[in-house]
Amino acid sequence: MEHERIIAKFYREHRRMPTYAEMMRLMKFKSKNSVFKLLKKLEAKGAVERDSRGFLIPKKLFGEVKVLGTVEAGFPSPAEEELVDTMTLDEWLITNKEATYMLKVKGDSMIDAGIMEGDMVLLDRSLTPKNGNIVVAEVDGAWTMKYLKKEGSKVALIPANKRYKPIVPKQELRIAAVVTAVIRKY
Amino acid sequence: MDAVLTHRSFPRAILHIDADAFFASCEQSRDPKLRGCPVITGSERGIVSSMSYEAKARGVTRAMRLSEVRKLCPDVVMLPSDYETYSILSKRFFAIVRRYTPDVEEYSIDECFADLTGLRRAFHMSYEGIAEKIKKELDTELGFTFSLGLAPTKVLAKIASKWNKPSGLTVIPGSKAHLFLAKMPTEKVWGIGPNTSAYLTKLGVHTALDFAVKSEEWVRAHMTKPHIEIWSELRGTQIYELTTEEKHTYASVQKTKTFTPASSDPKFVFAQLSKNIENACIKLRRHNLAATSAMFFLKTQEFSYKGWELSFSHPTAFPHEIVGAIEESFNEIFDSRKLYRATGVVMMKLVEDNVSQLDLFGERLRILDSKKLYAAVDAINEKFGKHKVYLGSSFAAHHTKQHGGPRGQTPTRRSTLFKGETGRKRIGLPMFMGDMS
Repeated sequence: MEHERIIAKFYREHRRMPTYAEMMRLMKFKSKNSVFKLLKKLEAKGAVERDSRGFLIPKKLFGEVKVLGTVEAGFPSPAEEELVDTMTLDEWLITNKEATYMLKVKGDSMIDAGIMEGDMVLLDRSLTPKNGNIVVAEVDGAWTMKYLKKEGSKVALIPANKRYKPIVPKQELRIAAVVTAVIRKY
Repeated sequence: MDAVLTHRSFPRAILHIDADAFFASCEQSRDPKLRGCPVITGSERGIVSSMSYEAKARGVTRAMRLSEVRKLCPDVVMLPSDYETYSILSKRFFAIVRRYTPDVEEYSIDECFADLTGLRRAFHMSYEGIAEKIKKELDTELGFTFSLGLAPTKVLAKIASKWNKPSGLTVIPGSKAHLFLAKMPTEKVWGIGPNTSAYLTKLGVHTALDFAVKSEEWVRAHMTKPHIEIWSELRGTQIYELTTEEKHTYASVQKTKTFTPASSDPKFVFAQLSKNIENACIKLRRHNLAATSAMFFLKTQEFSYKGWELSFSHPTAFPHEIVGAIEESFNEIFDSRKLYRATGVVMMKLVEDNVSQLDLFGERLRILDSKKLYAAVDAINEKFGKHKVYLGSSFAAHHTKQHGGPRGQTPTRRSTLFKGETGRKRIGLPMFMGDMS
């Protein structure tokens, strides 16, 4: 074992196998014949081998782990591990499952925001509406979906279509939910 | 005199949560046009199954006939039940409560109990504070209100949630229970029926407090076990534990269909019932369930019900077995002088369908044959559309329109579909309804 470690160390340091002379020196052998005999033993053991031209190649000099019989375990499927870091469309689209609703869009007042008639929008009832959010609010007994504009205490609902006018609510504005996604299936 | 029942405020902390006018609230919260209006659900059944507080204020009660409702409240909005949406929202209700404690008992579609005992430290909050947070999340995320009651026992928690409805949060610590019970007649207590209440009155017990202050010897001498337990619960000693398993299976599957005009033709009415049985069986098979017993009913033009129950020799989800078994009893019950307007079936005592039980008379082989048969039927109907293949006994029901006149009987969600959704399978998210501007 000691000899193998020395050869391995040499290989690691020089990126090549030692010559007979070098091995004589390393092993403190008195003759090249001793080196020859040692290599015969190592070859028989499978620790080194020779290429077609007779040069030495390391074989099992490294990571000498005792094999106590084989186990049919194999590598764990890399697929399983990689899939842990993926998410479903549901997970990607929905943050708070209990507070998420959907709505089928009618009209074209948000067309410039890319929201078209018939689209599905996902809404979250638990989010606090912020300036710039697209929100769904109650106006005169109907839903309306617009950009929310907040300036100080002033609130307005801004459409994304020049043909519509902004809505400035006279009374308290009842915002039901914040839009979190738009989905269109073709 | 203060008759304090116990000095311990919260040996346990039980929360009872009750959705306010649940079905009607589900409807109002998704359509702003319904807000502030008297709304009832159940129009497909011909009777009120839930009414909004606006309708309640006008005198509408549960199980009232629609014609009567219209008289009381001409501007009422009557909606067909959308059980799919109600069930989704019910599940969300329980899921939100489970954010705080795993110990939740789903008592019914719109009520639950939650055990908060020991959670004060975990949330750095009083029990009342936790209850307030739960209420706030329920109200905002579901879009309508809930009433909560916090007390050391289930019986007291139920009293507390009812105390201030709608949208109340009432706390009854054990040490204050007597103040609430003093104002409460015994029959208002959960588990005390009119008979027991009348009996208690004879014994000079009028209020829940009168009952609660009685000595144990007195209660043991005059009452039976269930009422002794209620007596303990009223005194703040918990007897009733929570049943906290999540309900995964259907307790029953029900299929009812009204038809107009009403009919006195036994063949037609039987075909209607047969179709309902087929539909119920399709649902059972889809969920890999089988029924052990079933209830059938016929509803007359006068809204009187005639029902009968049947137990099966083995769990089944095969309509031909059931239809064959009820023909005789149907003929006994059917009265050709009457006009019928609806039939229905409730499949009960459902079990997982895995034909595991062996029997003596080769039933099992017959069942396996039927299994093959219905696998084929289901496959055909899956491929070519519902009801392409059906029992001969349902023929008359399939070849007549269910309703002679117009009637809003299917919930709007069923007809508001996204691309890829079908009448039978929709995305499991509740949908905002109503007009958009």
